[in-house]
Amino acid sequence: MFKWFGRINYAPFTKVDGFAQHLKDGRLMATRCSQCGATSFPPRADCSVCLSGDFEFTELSGRARLHTFTKIVAAPTGFEDVAPYTVGVVDLEEGGRAVAWFGDSIQEGEIEIGMELQVVPQIFEELEEIKVYYSLERPGTEWVKV
Amino acid sequence: MTRVGIVGIGHTAFGRRSDATVQELAFEAFREAVLDAGIERDAIDASVIGAVPEYHKQRSLAGVVQEYLGLAPKPTWLTEVACASGSAAIRTAWMSIKAGVHDVVAVIGCQKMTELSTPEILALMGRVGEVQWESGFGTTFPAYYAMFAKRHMHEFGTTREQLLDVAVKNHHYGALNPKALFRKEITKKKAAASEDVATPFQVYDCCANADGAACVILAGEETARAVSDKPVWLSGMGCATASMSVLRRPNLVGLPSAEQAAAQAFEMAGMEPANVDVADVHDCFTIAEIMAYEDLGFCPKGEGGPFVADRQTYIGGAVPVNVDGGLKAKGHPIGATGTSMTHEIVLQLRGEAGERQVPDAAVGLTHNVGGIGQYCFVQVLTRE
Amino acid sequence: MDLGLTDRVALVTGGRTGIGAAIARALAREGCDVAIVDREHDESADAVVAEVRELGRRGLVIKADVADYDSAQQAVDTVVGQLGRLDILVCNAGITWDGVIWKMTEEQWDSVITVNLKGYFNYNKAAASVFKDQRSGKIVNITSINALRGKHAQANYAASKGGEVALTKSLARELGKFNVNVNAVAPGMVLTEMAQELAPEFLHKAADETVLGRIADPADIAEVVAFLCSDRARHVTGEVIKVDGGQYI
Repeated sequence: MFKWFGRINYAPFTKVDGFAQHLKDGRLMATRCSQCGATSFPPRADCSVCLSGDFEFTELSGRARLHTFTKIVAAPTGFEDVAPYTVGVVDLEEGGRAVAWFGDSIQEGEIEIGMELQVVPQIFEELEEIKVYYSLERPGTEWVKV
Repeated sequence: MTRVGIVGIGHTAFGRRSDATVQELAFEAFREAVLDAGIERDAIDASVIGAVPEYHKQRSLAGVVQEYLGLAPKPTWLTEVACASGSAAIRTAWMSIKAGVHDVVAVIGCQKMTELSTPEILALMGRVGEVQWESGFGTTFPAYYAMFAKRHMHEFGTTREQLLDVAVKNHHYGALNPKALFRKEITKKKAAASEDVATPFQVYDCCANADGAACVILAGEETARAVSDKPVWLSGMGCATASMSVLRRPNLVGLPSAEQAAAQAFEMAGMEPANVDVADVHDCFTIAEIMAYEDLGFCPKGEGGPFVADRQTYIGGAVPVNVDGGLKAKGHPIGATGTSMTHEIVLQLRGEAGERQVPDAAVGLTHNVGGIGQYCFVQVLTRE
Repeated sequence: MDLGLTDRVALVTGGRTGIGAAIARALAREGCDVAIVDREHDESADAVVAEVRELGRRGLVIKADVADYDSAQQAVDTVVGQLGRLDILVCNAGITWDGVIWKMTEEQWDSVITVNLKGYFNYNKAAASVFKDQRSGKIVNITSINALRGKHAQANYAASKGGEVALTKSLARELGKFNVNVNAVAPGMVLTEMAQELAPEFLHKAADETVLGRIADPADIAEVVAFLCSDRARHVTGEVIKVDGGQYI
């Protein structure tokens, strides 16, 4: 259920709802248009190339390169207790970009534009409700796919 | 086709106005503009209101504002494109006059930023990008521009010092602007010691929320010449958009919407960047002004940092920019900024800018950006 | 019914005799490799492992006092190290030390609570850490109908068994998002080797309490445990299943 995605979720209902279940199962998915094959990350249900509404999810490797980043000190509502935190925008190997937090395997001092990273699906382990996200980790990081 | 001129301008002090509603603020700017134009209120055919509704308790702002201004039953509506709402309102009025539907249109950019509680405002701050894919990670408006800054520094060697040069310049000019929120100069040292917001930005890299309103009254050429002895012409009008999400931009070192809007405006006006005598650009964050110099063609791509460090954007430099204090020192009541920028350029082209006057300014430019560059409006204004 | 448990690896505490041994046998029959933990490593323990091996599976004895926190972690590490992984935990080891409360000593209380309730905490925690990271796992905690109905002269035992139920439900909540099921099985009277020594009148009385007119074999408990350990029970979690012949309805 897409409402699982993100620490705060402002888009509980979407045509690409299945993205969150795949993420919970350890799979980072892009979408591919069933008509013309155009792929998209972030995922989108409606093809911007041929206007078709038929799509399927396609799994990404999660390999990426850091495009830019910032450490957020002044946090928005809902993130005050985890501030400061560092977010990065990464260019994904298969195309498209993602924005995500840096995970525990990366030290603040090593963050450099251009560095290789691995986008890793995650569950917020200690929250009672089910919430999922992905983080930026060291290349070669392994994780479980259900 | 008829040219459109600006015949009256008005501007409230920008700041914390807990003493007034948004319509009361709008009235202050409107009254000043009507008196400045020397027209009867009844001569106004329509009004367009530029404001961002989600910061207000009052729903449907356009109706409330225009009624208080005494403009009912003339047509009115709201234009909203985030921080460029004021310019969108001007463009709407301009289009209606060029199409011959109206002749005299009042454009009021107005905004309260302080009606919501701090948590409500902070929550809104986290919903600036594409909420579906980004807000879950706690991104904020400063964070997006901060990431542009980091990339710009990486690609072009822009320095922290150069970012702060923008802040120092704009506070210098804000001190000369009686309508500005911040009226004191700052030093680079003070700016560098301020709190972190989103690295590399500190407090002085970021514009402040404010309440305020600014009004411009537009008229078709014949009426403009009849009513005013110093009409200022909207000679070039450009508007372009870009993806809502930074994840789908071609690069994160400039705003393609600004480049495209500027190209349109210069072409329409038959001008080039080098012709511009004075400009007001959208310095919501220090890097935004540096990127604006490049996107507008005031300097080559990547050289915006040295451009400001060399004082090329002070009066006396290649092109004075934000000599009213910019968003940084004036404050940023988001719906009012577009009309505020236009107000300043009109003053400059009329020769009425006092201590801030750019000598013999004949061509001016405004650059008003919505959000992280989703929308951009560029206007080239001329004295002749 | 094929429960689909082939090549799963299970750890059973108190697996040397009685219900625990029956559970070890049942899981091995279903295709599991089984490690048993017990405070004694004697012929009975070896006999259980021998049966596991006869069923074509790997078996292991780990001697440990379940009340000891560190040895629980070591036991889980040993299983993962020697058998390659851990998929199933069955906590079954427990003691009784009966007495009416006004005569119950501090030692009677503490020892029963520690071996039974803390023992289950020790092993549930060690296994949960593994299951969370591998995003799969099954925990079955053997409790008792006395947890639910109380029992004369068993305040300590009933309290420990009741605590195991609360532990089970809490962990079901915590571990559900990681695809881990945590359930409890609550036997009534079970005819273990020890129970067979009891006086006939006592055994008749127990049979009379059931509606089926019989006392459970350890295998009756083991069958339900095996089912809960399978993916056929994937949507059962946080549950307490009584296997008591209707002794307490």
